[in-house]
Amino acid sequence: MTRISVGDASLTNILARQSADLRGQVQRASQEVATGRHSDLGAALRGDFSPLLAIDASLARLSAYKSNTADAAFQTAAQQSAISGLSQLASGISTTLLGAKNATPVQIDTLAADARGRLASAIGLLNTQASGRAVFSGVATGTVPLGSVEDMLTALQTAAAGATSAGQVTAAVTGWFADPLGFGAFYQGGGPRSSTPIAQGEAAEIPTTAMDPALRDTLAGFAMAALLDRGVLAGDATERGRLAQQAGQQLASTEDARTTLQARIGTVEARIEAARTRNSAEETALGILRSEIGSVDPYEAGTRLEAIQSQLESLYLVTARVSRLSLAEYLR
Amino acid sequence: MSVTSALAGALSGLSATSRQAEILSSNVANATTPGYARRQVSLGSAVLAGQGQGVQVLGITRDVDKQLLGERRLAQASGADRDLRAAFLARVEQALGTPDSAGSLAARLAAFDQALVEAAGRPESQARLSGIATTAQSLAAGLATATKDIQSARATADRQIGEEVGRLNATLAQLQELNVQLRSFTGAGRDVSALLDKRQQLVDQISSIIPVREISRDLNQIALVTTGGATLLDGAAAVIGFSAIHTITPEMTQASGGLSGITINGRPYDTAGSASPILGGSLGALFAVRDELAVSAQGKLDAVARDLVERFASPTVDPTLAPGAPGLFTDAGAAFDPLDEAGLAGRLSLNALVDPSQGGALFRLRDGLGAATEGAPGNGTLIAALHDALTAARPLSSTGFAAGARSFATLTGDLMSDTSALRLAAQSEKSFASAKLTALTDLEAQNGIDTDQEMQDLLVIEKNYAANAKVIQAVADMIDTLIRLGA
Repeated sequence: MTRISVGDASLTNILARQSADLRGQVQRASQEVATGRHSDLGAALRGDFSPLLAIDASLARLSAYKSNTADAAFQTAAQQSAISGLSQLASGISTTLLGAKNATPVQIDTLAADARGRLASAIGLLNTQASGRAVFSGVATGTVPLGSVEDMLTALQTAAAGATSAGQVTAAVTGWFADPLGFGAFYQGGGPRSSTPIAQGEAAEIPTTAMDPALRDTLAGFAMAALLDRGVLAGDATERGRLAQQAGQQLASTEDARTTLQARIGTVEARIEAARTRNSAEETALGILRSEIGSVDPYEAGTRLEAIQSQLESLYLVTARVSRLSLAEYLR
Repeated sequence: MSVTSALAGALSGLSATSRQAEILSSNVANATTPGYARRQVSLGSAVLAGQGQGVQVLGITRDVDKQLLGERRLAQASGADRDLRAAFLARVEQALGTPDSAGSLAARLAAFDQALVEAAGRPESQARLSGIATTAQSLAAGLATATKDIQSARATADRQIGEEVGRLNATLAQLQELNVQLRSFTGAGRDVSALLDKRQQLVDQISSIIPVREISRDLNQIALVTTGGATLLDGAAAVIGFSAIHTITPEMTQASGGLSGITINGRPYDTAGSASPILGGSLGALFAVRDELAVSAQGKLDAVARDLVERFASPTVDPTLAPGAPGLFTDAGAAFDPLDEAGLAGRLSLNALVDPSQGGALFRLRDGLGAATEGAPGNGTLIAALHDALTAARPLSSTGFAAGARSFATLTGDLMSDTSALRLAAQSEKSFASAKLTALTDLEAQNGIDTDQEMQDLLVIEKNYAANAKVIQAVADMIDTLIRLGA
């Protein structure tokens, strides 16, 4: 038989279900409006997280590169300023030394004392530490590369013992600096430092140590003049003058090498700076991309909320009207 | 005597309308009672010695659409099945985390990656080395937490199977008893509607656990057969056997004998596959969660853990590593054994050699796990090699994922995306099943009590009652007239 009745429960069920459904939608939409994030990210991305995860991983790595570039830039800057300091020390005395051939013994003595002071300063510069790391020690960042000026001069004096001419002293000094058992043993640092990752697939090499020929030869120049202060070739004013002159020549001749070294470090600095700029641009771009993929359009979510709200209000109205529709109300 | 029969006929009309009013009041009172089926009084004209003698109540009929009821029960079963599967997969997704949750596996991995890059830039920094150790521990902890979540979901499923089986047995026993009562009451010709309501509710309960078909027998008896073909009730109730266990570890399976299967009247049955008679409802879904979904989720997690272990366990990455010695990540402190992959994700831990809280030293992260003494502090070569090992594309040793070489981040992404896609698929099936159930429930509700209609009927009953009473009054007047004639 054809039914002409509709059970009460049917209507109640439908209204209750629709109301629950709409409330759920209101909750989701309001959460999305408030937080700006999808309430169900998996559904929004259709279960494929890989683009978002790749962005997140890159962002995390970029923040690591940020601290690495800052660190590497600081290290190279410290090296640059130490080398500039060396050049100033050298140029301040080399001209005077070059003209020392005709100087009086007293003038030579003064020059020698000055050279010894400058050697001490040069060693101090090479022992520079930046953020707790000895910048010219290579991998052995925990120890400063060079010992005291007195130790160096004592070793050199031993090496030059018995020398009677300026030429012999010069040969002994340059020989000591080239000798792995001489300066090589005096150097307390390690091999070249390992590279620092500064960008995706890019690493900055900061391999310069105090063993670099440019730095070593500069030290040799200062040392030759400083030996005069230790009484080398005592009594032979001519040879002392000649040694001072040769020290001046040595210092002047290393100027080019120092400049080349600074230029080499400069290119690394430029690469670090370029990486830093590139990283920060990439970070911004990825941040925008991330919010495009992973965030809710607030206007869309807001409009949705508005629509559901009015729908819910209509449902309440219908519920109130329909509930009053009962025959029992009219059977008085 | 026709006046007397008129009186008798009117009286029968009165009693029939009272009966109708009684049933109507019961209908109205139960308008919202779940499982209550609308009753109707069926009337017939009473015949006595070949002559009409008023009206008689033939019986009370319950207004039930059996076809619809059967359909709804099946929908209910499949709804329960999909619900449980979707709920489990959602739990796994939550255990692994999504890209917007802070503790997700990918976030932990990104932190580890970041710590390696930072430490390679500044290997002498204690803070950065310690960053590697803590983020590596957090990564291992992330895998362990996910394992724990999955295994505890398995244990919950096992316990729930025990509960469902208990409920099933109790309900079947009740049904058997109801069948006996129904047989004797029906034989005695009494109104059994209330018992039938009760029985329908009980069958409804069973059918959300296992989908069943109801087969009617004489004298209001029913037999229950699962859609898979096992008889649960036919005269005697079947006894279903299952024993729950307390703790479940990843390597325990039904095949290995660690987990219980199901028996019906002492005979074991499959709990999966086409031969299983119990599938389609919540019981089948719980078995699927315990034996298939959780096992496959754990398998993927273990594959990821294995890849992580193997990336760092090679002497080509860390030259100080002796062959066979555990790498940065260990299987509970020991080297990973390829035969023992099940549950690896839960046992993964950071090598004690680099963990200061376990007596290790951080410098081994920089100088190698086999290093006896601390090397040059500025040497970041090994840390860079570790980072390369983490990011290099590497073929997968385990099954469970599509073949192909990938970096560890890609693998983690695949794991999370896979899990999420499974959850979404299960959820869409769930909403399909629940839409079907809703539609059928609505149809059933439409057949329920309509108070408006009952009120209309009440008007008719009132009118009939008044009419019958009027007839009695008229007959009484007639008799009175007769009596006055004689006076």
